[in-house]
Amino acid sequence: MPGVAIKDLARHYGGVAAVDGLSLDVKPGELVALLGPSGCGKTTTLRLVAGFLKPESGEIWVGDRCLSSPSAVVPPERRRMAMIFQSYALWPHMTVAQNVAYGLRFKRGLPRAEREKKVGEILRVVQLAGYEARYPGELSGGQQQRVAVARALVVEPEILLLDEPLSNLDANLREEMRFEIRRLHEEFAITTLYVTHDQGEAMVISDRIAVLERGRVAQIGTADELFHQPRTRFVAEFIGKTNLVDGMAVKPDAIAHGPLTFRVASDTLVPGAHVALSIRPHHIELVAPNAPKEDGVNILQGSIERASFLGETVDYQVAVKDSDLVVRVAAPAVARLRPGGLVGLRIPRAACVVLAEG
Amino acid sequence: MIRRILSLTGLVALMLAVAVPVLAQDARVEAAKKEGKVVWYTSLVLPSAEKVAKLFEAAYPGVKVEVHRTGSERILQRVMQELTANIKNADVVHTSDAGHFVFLKDKKLLMPYTPAGVDKFPPGFKDKDGYYFGLRATVTAIFYNTKLMSAAEAPKTWKDLLDPKWKGKLVTAHPSYSGVVATHVLALEKQYGWDYFKQLGQNKLMIVQSAADTPTTVVSGERIVAVNGGEYSAYQLKKKGNPIEIIYPKEGVPLIVSPTAITSFAPHPNAAKLFTDFTFTREIQQVMADSEGLYTGHPDVKYPTDKPKLGDLKLLSADAEELQKRNEEIKKRFVEFFGA
Amino acid sequence: MSVSTHRRASGATLRGRLEGVDRSLPVWVATALAIVALMALPLAWLGYMSVGAEQGTTFGHYREVFRDEALRKALWHTLVLAFWTGLVSVALGAPLAWLTARTNVPGKKLIRALVMASFVTPPFLGAFAWVMLAGPNAGLLNRMWRDLTGATDPLLDIFTMSGLVFVVTMYTFPYVYIMLANTLALIASDLEDAAAIHGAGRLGVALTITLPLVAPAIVSGFILAVLQALALFGSPAILALPAGFHTITTQVWSFFHFPPKVEQAAAVSIPLLLATALLLLMQKRLLGRRGYATVGGKGGQRRTIALGIWRYPALAAVFVVMAGSIFLPYAVLAKAAFARAWAQPLTWSNVTLANFTFTLFEYSSTKAAILNTVELGLATATMGAGLAALLSYVTNRRLVVGHQLVAFLALAPVVIPGVVLAVALFIAYTRPPFVLYGTLAILFVAYLTKEMPVGYAQSDATFRSIPPDLEEAGRILGAGRLRVLRDVTAPLARSGIIAAWCFIFIGVIRELSASIILFTPNTRVMSVVIFDLKEEGQFGAIAVLGLAMLAMTFATVSVVQAALGRDVLGVKE
Ligand SMILES: Nc1ncnc2c1ncn2[C@@H]1O[C@H](COP(=O)(O)OP(=O)(O)O)[C@@H](O)[C@H]1O
Ligand SMILES: [Mg+2]
Repeated sequence: MPGVAIKDLARHYGGVAAVDGLSLDVKPGELVALLGPSGCGKTTTLRLVAGFLKPESGEIWVGDRCLSSPSAVVPPERRRMAMIFQSYALWPHMTVAQNVAYGLRFKRGLPRAEREKKVGEILRVVQLAGYEARYPGELSGGQQQRVAVARALVVEPEILLLDEPLSNLDANLREEMRFEIRRLHEEFAITTLYVTHDQGEAMVISDRIAVLERGRVAQIGTADELFHQPRTRFVAEFIGKTNLVDGMAVKPDAIAHGPLTFRVASDTLVPGAHVALSIRPHHIELVAPNAPKEDGVNILQGSIERASFLGETVDYQVAVKDSDLVVRVAAPAVARLRPGGLVGLRIPRAACVVLAEG
Repeated sequence: MIRRILSLTGLVALMLAVAVPVLAQDARVEAAKKEGKVVWYTSLVLPSAEKVAKLFEAAYPGVKVEVHRTGSERILQRVMQELTANIKNADVVHTSDAGHFVFLKDKKLLMPYTPAGVDKFPPGFKDKDGYYFGLRATVTAIFYNTKLMSAAEAPKTWKDLLDPKWKGKLVTAHPSYSGVVATHVLALEKQYGWDYFKQLGQNKLMIVQSAADTPTTVVSGERIVAVNGGEYSAYQLKKKGNPIEIIYPKEGVPLIVSPTAITSFAPHPNAAKLFTDFTFTREIQQVMADSEGLYTGHPDVKYPTDKPKLGDLKLLSADAEELQKRNEEIKKRFVEFFGA
Repeated sequence: MSVSTHRRASGATLRGRLEGVDRSLPVWVATALAIVALMALPLAWLGYMSVGAEQGTTFGHYREVFRDEALRKALWHTLVLAFWTGLVSVALGAPLAWLTARTNVPGKKLIRALVMASFVTPPFLGAFAWVMLAGPNAGLLNRMWRDLTGATDPLLDIFTMSGLVFVVTMYTFPYVYIMLANTLALIASDLEDAAAIHGAGRLGVALTITLPLVAPAIVSGFILAVLQALALFGSPAILALPAGFHTITTQVWSFFHFPPKVEQAAAVSIPLLLATALLLLMQKRLLGRRGYATVGGKGGQRRTIALGIWRYPALAAVFVVMAGSIFLPYAVLAKAAFARAWAQPLTWSNVTLANFTFTLFEYSSTKAAILNTVELGLATATMGAGLAALLSYVTNRRLVVGHQLVAFLALAPVVIPGVVLAVALFIAYTRPPFVLYGTLAILFVAYLTKEMPVGYAQSDATFRSIPPDLEEAGRILGAGRLRVLRDVTAPLARSGIIAAWCFIFIGVIRELSASIILFTPNTRVMSVVIFDLKEEGQFGAIAVLGLAMLAMTFATVSVVQAALGRDVLGVKE
């Protein structure tokens, strides 16, 4: 089972750089999600990996095979990959069984009986046994999606590529299919690139997430790493909600924002440098006004501007005293506070993540 | 029924007549059979041409006749156009424009060949160098529709046609298509000059292409009078009971002798010779006179009694050399006076 | 250790290189080159011939051509014919389109079928039929008119410019109809309602909203009709020549009369070519305008306008038009086919099957011509649909560099009138390296070139409707490009390609204007035989062959309709 190594890949459309110096390593058997907003180059990256496009620079390696480089591209049919398309791309003139069996036609020396057996097995895995003779037009969206999955898995590809496979399903089915895909990945352990613009989906399904911004990888890591240690403003904002605070380093472990000073989760700052902090709303605790100072904890004063009840939590907007900051706080719904009330904000030093780029 | 039997016996007699003679003929027939066919570019009207072809095929089973019928001028166009692409297709060329044969002879595109039995033909039917011979002849005349006009009202002379009262009532064929009409135009030009045609043009003639189409146009009633056309076509229509009458103007009628020749490049030379001989036999010449209403050069041919003898008509003739030289002028002038 | 790793890596790259070669590329390159060759060779010869002199180049041929009084007249006649044909086509086609697209006129399906029939009827057959109907003296309509009124003057004279315009229009107005009906079907009534709410009256709405929205379609229909009239050969040859005037196409044709003036033919062809190209460019510009794009949206509901008491009068008016293009001509053709003398009443003594026996059994050219026509139709349609499919595949999937040029070349023959194409092909293929004149091959090349735009447009639309995903899904699972083409694309494109096949076939069997210059006695086709027979005045035989041609056409049309599941005109219900 080989992994995928993408080195410095680039591809333009007209004047637009769709992929712009993208590098990424996918370990054997790993599922990496490519996550990013629409138009950031996810599909283009995937099509480059699949061999539908030729890179302008950079290389794509699978194991010890160089599959794409500006001078040569191994055509898709010889890459031993499989792909699941956003549209599913089922062939309307073939039955479910024919669709699924298609890729097996190109496995030399696979007897017909063996082929049929494999088709039957995989259809059972995706819970479509009995639908062999149907045409795609006679299936629901979810069923079509599972046919597409079966068609890709049955050929036992070295690499599996998925392009927003769940985006055409309704919300409930989407939730369900996330777990289904993760289960299948655990069962087959195929090296997988999974494209999505939905961070929740990426978090549930993937081993690691590569966040894409304007054709490059902004950060790659586990969901946990991305959430707790975002390296850029873009990643911090894209993965979950956050409060961003701009300031200037005043000590190796503190920054100033106007009259306020934050102790941060770093002690290597260069005083005088511009720095940005990301503080997750649920890392901020509401305490009584004028709470005592603690070591390694930032205590701020503020007044509640708005409180929105969200069920399990309440989303507060708090205007910080002596500054222009309005921070969002996610607090448990046990004690409800009213707008206009004064509160203290307790922010542990570890919650103030310094972003690599200001 | 009786007519059919008659024509059948005629056919049998004909087959006997050609099957019996000379032994040298046998070798040629064999050679022709080997060639399998003869390609005939002809301006003889379609049904007549097809009939001659059928008779030949019946007489010589195994040798087919490929009939390519179109107007004389188109035949020359096609032969020459084919030669530019080095296509050698035509074996026997037969048009009503004697000028063509002068032209083709000059270009060395004809094979000298004297068909059997033409020695008795009058001089007007023979090329002095032995390249081409008149297969048939007709005259051009005025035709009118008898239903739409009485004999008294009908024009009597070529000049009568210039009367403005005929405006919109006349039809002419085209010298860019028909050799008969090209010859006719030259013959009348020599008589009256181009002025005649200039005046005729004032009468807004309908223009058809073939000399065989002026009589049909008259029969249909689309125009009342034809100012030219193949007299034999009109005669055939008249014999079938159509309302058409032929007027042979006293000033003279142009005689059109339509020559035939074998090409120098004939792909089927033996079949071509066999076919050419066949068309000059008394039997075929008689068929042309009987059912087609043509004149021929054959001295033994008997003509229908309801038709004037050639000898009784005052004939205007056009010289082949001159026809060849003035070919372009004739067409150009015609277009100038008649429009298209 | 490090050495071995290095070798592995470079070995892998090399293998990657080899694997990287796309084995289907030669097919696409060959396809692209085929269209280049098909177009470039004749056009290059045409241009060269028009300026070629014994030595060097000359504009002498152009000078000669444009100084020639007769040619200037022919040019003028062509312009008059084209302009009026365009105008009258709009006058007939536009109301018809409106009636079927927007009103509750009865018998819409029938009307569409009749428009379709006019569309596929060979115009030269129509012209021929109208000779029998409206020849000033023998024409059946004129005779009836005289019998009824006792008048001496004819009601109609078909051998005039207006007669010619009339007949050409009868088979050209469907172009306007198609453009407009398809557009009207896309304009949502709410655009019109919006104007009505703001106080515009019914006429106001029509003038301020509907008309501007459909104006590009009308103008472009007008241009298409003009183009048709410019390129037509058969109808002018049948109607203008007897009346003593030429159009450019008949003039070009007569340049081939002996002694041929091919250089002059070339010199006349080039301006005709440029004029056509210019008109098409205008049309493209018009349709490309922003305003038209909003019409292209799916739009909302379309309301039908109730005609009230005008329903049946409107239908009657439609039938009057259809009498001109279908009913009367078809009837008179049938009559001529069964009559001894077409101009006489069809009494028992005038009824005969002789025309059929003569045409089908005795006339030796018929069989060869029908065979040639069918053979050419099959070959051109098959090769043409195949090539068009490959070409549109290449351009849709951008498989070669310069695919835009390929698309341009595939559509370019639209601007080449048949006679011009024929002149070009005649020049190109009567001399080495390719001597095709005298064989069916030159007709095949002519038809293939002439019909390429039709085939290309049809298959282009087909491939546009097939998402590339479907092919890519096959590729990634292990199928090569050609294999995917066979397994996925071809089955999905099948009905579209069958339709392209049929369109080409219909176009081929009726083709006259190029054939008339390119045929030789051994390579005559039905249309040429009909034309030859016309020159000789054999009306009965023409009628028989004409009916045979119509039968073949309509058989093919029904195949298209079955394949597409809609009517040929592309007008939605
Ligand atoms: N075929 C194409 N032609 C031109 N531009 C394209 C094409 N495909 C993608 N792009 C552009 O490249 C950028 C990246 O597109 P894509 O990879 O589809 O983004 P994503 O899948 O992340 O939404 C976008 O700006 C898009 O407009
Ligand atoms: Mg995408």
